[in-house]
Amino acid sequence: MLKIFNTIKIKLQSKHKKDYIDIFVKALFFLTTLISASFIVIIAIFILREGIRPFIDDYDGIGRVNLIRFLMGTTWLEGQTFQSNLYGVGFIIINTLYIAFLSLFLSLPIGVLTALFIAKIAPKRLASVLRTIIELLAAIPSIVYGLFGSGVILKIIYEMAKIFGVQSKGGNSVLATVMVLSLMILPTITALSEVAIRSVNKDIELGSLALGATKTQTHFKVVLTSAKSGIFTAAILGVGRALGEATAVSLVAGNARSGPTFAFFETTATLTSTMLQGLKETIGIDYDIRFSVGIVLIVVILITNLTLNFVKKKIGNVYVK
Amino acid sequence: MSNKRKRIDNLLKGITYFSASIAAIILLFIIIFVFKNGFGLLNIDLITNDYHAKFYNGGIEEVTEFSKTQRPSHLSDEDYYSEKWGIALRDDLDREGKAMVIVSYISEDSPLYQIYDKNNDDNDEFMIEKGNLISSIKFEDKASALSVYGAQHMIQILNESNQFREIVFSSLGGGIRGSLITTLYIIGITLAIALPIGIFSAIYLNELSRKNKINQMIRSMIETLTGVPSIIYGLMGLAVFVPLTVKYTPATSANLISGSLTLAVILLPVIIKATEESLKVVPDDYRQASLALGANRTQTTFKAVLPSALPGILTATILSIGRIIGESAALIFAIGTAVKDNITIFGRSTTLSVHIWSLMTDEPANIELASTIALIILVIVLLLNLIVKLISHQYLKKLA
Repeated sequence: MLKIFNTIKIKLQSKHKKDYIDIFVKALFFLTTLISASFIVIIAIFILREGIRPFIDDYDGIGRVNLIRFLMGTTWLEGQTFQSNLYGVGFIIINTLYIAFLSLFLSLPIGVLTALFIAKIAPKRLASVLRTIIELLAAIPSIVYGLFGSGVILKIIYEMAKIFGVQSKGGNSVLATVMVLSLMILPTITALSEVAIRSVNKDIELGSLALGATKTQTHFKVVLTSAKSGIFTAAILGVGRALGEATAVSLVAGNARSGPTFAFFETTATLTSTMLQGLKETIGIDYDIRFSVGIVLIVVILITNLTLNFVKKKIGNVYVK
Repeated sequence: MSNKRKRIDNLLKGITYFSASIAAIILLFIIIFVFKNGFGLLNIDLITNDYHAKFYNGGIEEVTEFSKTQRPSHLSDEDYYSEKWGIALRDDLDREGKAMVIVSYISEDSPLYQIYDKNNDDNDEFMIEKGNLISSIKFEDKASALSVYGAQHMIQILNESNQFREIVFSSLGGGIRGSLITTLYIIGITLAIALPIGIFSAIYLNELSRKNKINQMIRSMIETLTGVPSIIYGLMGLAVFVPLTVKYTPATSANLISGSLTLAVILLPVIIKATEESLKVVPDDYRQASLALGANRTQTTFKAVLPSALPGILTATILSIGRIIGESAALIFAIGTAVKDNITIFGRSTTLSVHIWSLMTDEPANIELASTIALIILVIVLLLNLIVKLISHQYLKKLA
């Protein structure tokens, strides 16, 4: 035994000692990398495991959730009073997509034009100030946006609804949700579009100018078109953020229990705001269903991303750097 | 250039000016809103006080000696002082605008130091302190002195009496000490977990790994993590880390450790990416020089490459702190929404951001306190971001 130890000792003391350290360090770092990478698998496995239970388990007589009804349903019944297995998430999926794309519709033009301004039009000083403003906006936590939404935007919308002669539940509405989300994804879209606009080849611009187009014409017709692939990427990330945003939305959406709702002043619900409802339970169907909604959210985000990426490819590229 | 063209150009240019101003206006509005609503409550008491008010019933033995302390000179005209009982009271309004009577001074020889806790036999530290609210003083032989009649009335009745049956008082409450401490704990624990794992992974991916299928797959798996919404991370914390910590620690439910672990996973891709970026900037000459001098890979990485990448890692850390302070959705699941005053790392409690969420989902919502917390968060997060900007600016200057 002692002999073995001595040989190991001698081996370690020999000039190869450094190599052992190298091997050890490499193994350790590989392990941490594996740990980092494994979390995506852990997320998938555990959310799937918990989220599938409502469709299999009987929950002591409440009964299992019908998958078809769950995916197509237009009402969400929950809580002890209902003892319910009648969850319908179909209308919420539609609401979520509707709201996400409306938000994009609002903030994409503003974001892209702001990016164009920062990258091409603004004087250097102003551009760097604006860039800082965009960075600060991006750094503001979502809960603060939610607070701003329920403190300011809800009030504005409540007054607006009165002018239109529509009932609104304290301002909680589709419009409020869309506005809050637009504010939140604006910095993302602006920052990414700016990068895209900056990476447009200077030659294309110069060519346009040489042909007699004005600077503004060049910016709008040539630069923006050339950057459209990058701008589309920004839009994809913006939609992704809008779909996944939770706390701010839950403060202004109004948590509608049925739908889908398309009218601007009606309350609505998104997948994330539904997941945040009724946090009191720690066991049972109301707890597990949250994971099922989580699965739906992941699938919706994945499908949206794939579709948009497909569209992006179809649109094609004028110029890729 | 025709006049028409000029007009169109100016119009288009104007649109971009208008769009760009929107971002500035939004930022301004948010800051004004948070300041306007939150600044009123912001003071040192808010930060040091407990959130939950504690109510006490104080009884009193026979008073043998009354206070001899004169009215202290630092008391203002609004303070009503009873020389006999050595206590000064003042009228104030609570957050709902209701009248309350607050203790603004209590002398050391006040007979009120001899009161005992009627609800708890062995409460040794029981006493009325500066900042407590007096809701009523009840007497054997006359009507109670209630806080609604004001401090002057209360002092008047006290001066006339030599004995009372009971004094009902409470601590102020509404403070955010608990959430603040939780946030600090969470920052500490999360960084302790996420920084080593993240930095090691980045070093592996950038310095040590070969370019092969497995490493590429690992890389894309880590990249996928960036797109996952934080509420999904919260679900993972709920499904993985909460049961794990309940099993292996004294915790019985969601706790600070499970919250920190969840946040650490959220931060991993951020830290890995930032560290990798800063490693990529380090010139290859450094590595080759170090290796040529006979140093091995480990020495090269730790002594030659990492020091140069330090500013990048520092910025990643600072940004992570901002992210931890701001995160809400994941933590609502991973540590819960219960606002607590006694913080243990194995117990439930909540960070400042989640505190805002609980305040806003309460009925009725407490926008003032929520804004005050938001103000604190906003100042910290924006400062951190400006610091990062400064560091990277300096660093870029140095490189150039």
